[in-house]
Amino acid sequence: MRKIIVLQLLLFTVILLAQENDNIAVGFESNSQYYMDDEKTGDFTEPNRFRSNNYLKVDYSISKFSFGVQVEGYEPMSLLNYSPGFNKTNIALYYAKYTSKKIEATAGYFYEQYGSGLILRSWEDRQLGINNALRGGRIKFFPTENITLSALYGNQRSGFDVSDASIYGFNSEVNISSMLKANSWNLDLGLSYVGRKEEKNTTDFNFNDLTNAFSGRLDFSKNNFYSSAEFVSKSDDAVIIFNEIRNVKPGSAFLFDVGYGKKGFGINANFRRIENMTFYSQRSANGNIYNENIINYIPALTKQHDYLLTNIYVYQAQPQVSFQDFELLKIGEIGGQVDLFYTLKKKTSLGGKYGTKIALNMSYWAGLSGEYDYLNFEYDSDLIRFGEKYFSDISLEIRKKWSSDWNSVFYYVNQYYNKRYVEETFGNVKTDIFVSESTYKLGAGKSLRFEAQHLWSKDDKKNWVGGTVEFNLNSKLAVYVNDIYNYGNDEDTEKIHYYNLGGSYTLGAHRFALNYGRQRGGLICIGGVCRFVPESTGVTANIILSF
Amino acid sequence: MKYLLFLLCILFFNVGFSQKSIPNSTLTTLEGKSVNIQDEISENKITVLSFWATWCVPCINELDAISEVYEDWQESANMELIAVSTDDSRTKKRIRPMVNGKGWPYKILLDKNQELKRALNISTIPQTYILKGSKIIYIHSGYSPGVEDEIYDVIQKNKN
Repeated sequence: MRKIIVLQLLLFTVILLAQENDNIAVGFESNSQYYMDDEKTGDFTEPNRFRSNNYLKVDYSISKFSFGVQVEGYEPMSLLNYSPGFNKTNIALYYAKYTSKKIEATAGYFYEQYGSGLILRSWEDRQLGINNALRGGRIKFFPTENITLSALYGNQRSGFDVSDASIYGFNSEVNISSMLKANSWNLDLGLSYVGRKEEKNTTDFNFNDLTNAFSGRLDFSKNNFYSSAEFVSKSDDAVIIFNEIRNVKPGSAFLFDVGYGKKGFGINANFRRIENMTFYSQRSANGNIYNENIINYIPALTKQHDYLLTNIYVYQAQPQVSFQDFELLKIGEIGGQVDLFYTLKKKTSLGGKYGTKIALNMSYWAGLSGEYDYLNFEYDSDLIRFGEKYFSDISLEIRKKWSSDWNSVFYYVNQYYNKRYVEETFGNVKTDIFVSESTYKLGAGKSLRFEAQHLWSKDDKKNWVGGTVEFNLNSKLAVYVNDIYNYGNDEDTEKIHYYNLGGSYTLGAHRFALNYGRQRGGLICIGGVCRFVPESTGVTANIILSF
Repeated sequence: MKYLLFLLCILFFNVGFSQKSIPNSTLTTLEGKSVNIQDEISENKITVLSFWATWCVPCINELDAISEVYEDWQESANMELIAVSTDDSRTKKRIRPMVNGKGWPYKILLDKNQELKRALNISTIPQTYILKGSKIIYIHSGYSPGVEDEIYDVIQKNKN
């Protein structure tokens, strides 16, 4: 609390000194929950029924300089299943930055991403409890318009502290086509290096304190066609299984993407192969459930669905080496996805008066095939061969506007989810999901939205049904109620309604939301990174203020 | 209670000092070129800045709705909509085919590690800004059908 008062005083000073040509931005976010006992899902047995995660961020800029600080408060405790490192109130981040035409220099905490993040990404996601900002220094240099060079050094944030390992990074991006004065096509080249130096505490295995990772990228486009490729190679490093070093292996990743688009039509396909590509700022953090100490970002390249029942079986990328038993052997993944978007033109027989929009996505992911030696934690992978199937997903979305105040979305998903391999538990699940959504404009800013969904499955928890009703009273105030019900569950006690009701009020950039209900336990996934949340019942409140 | 007081303090003291313009930030175009957001905002027109993502259904509803009437908007006022995608590398590759497939007429810029989103303290999307020249005159977070009419009214009131 004292720290906050000090900070508040600082803030006032800054405001008092504020002048015409400077800019101050203040952001506050608070996510709280009051956990309640539930006769169906059980009592709340953890300490502190009321928990709250709070973030206050202040940025101040004057001419070429900017400064900022972020204070985080987890009072009296953080929400369920956040890292224990997020504890009480403290200063979490601070920085000072200088920006000019040729140079940008940062000291303190900063976020960074090289390429698609396969080699390095530090970012913040408050819902997931991820903040792996780097603390140290970074310099970016723009010698010409077509070249960017940057270098960084730092330690990675973990809780309110940083981890021991030193992180070194270098990145270069060159626009080759502009240098060659080519106008009809575009070619970008990117080269990066990331090093992590952590003292090793074993002599049994032969690897270095410093682990090196290199990445090379090319992006090409000409007219309506575009393509990109990225390759990452990670040097020999400890392979950790069951919390112990078992072997020493290199890692690699390859990502290829190709697409074509013109007005009314777009298609994109990508392919990726990854092997032993987990990369942590602390070797022992390998596979930790809080997503702490992550250096690189390996998202699942599948469609990110937006409806409740389509988010029960969510794929997570499988970059890790995992030898669970004689049959459950994983060293990476291989697969890809295709996306297609198409608009049926207005005033045609299929398009109707307003046109019809179609989106199709297909993805397929499998393990790497190869020779596996379970007893010695040894393996030798095939370059391009699909092993055990992990996941597939086909989805079709049709958006139709019937009249100026009525439109609908129809959504169908077919999924295969290899639960045994993805979650390292048992079974596999095949599902068919259908969602239908309609919105009616009632005039004067009022509107009603209905959503009905059904999931069919003969596996796992079997059939689900769900629905949502949302009423917008005006552009600022909305209320909703939704429910999903696992009516097909074999166990009568598991036939549970997960219901929620709530409302939100927005005023400019400020937002207040209140919600009551029972939350389904499972993975919350954002951008392919998932956090496990237990089942809970209670009241949640979210406050977002921005000045 | 202390906590609430603290909150109120912030509210009262900062209300007059809100962000008036879009902070300096580097975004990329669909072709991968780096651009500064401040250079993309024209001094003599009205700019609508809409933060969205390919996985965000209300964002898509909003941009779909505006695309229906966008021609009329551009005829009635000197205005432009810039749709800033906050997709990260998981879904970034979906932006281009989606924009093409939907036939959206907007300028699209990418905020791939969410630097601008963070600088503006945006927690939820969609979030839409209207700028007259470089000055922020309207902010709205979330989308409900009909918000496009409200945006249209603001444009009409502020056009030259």
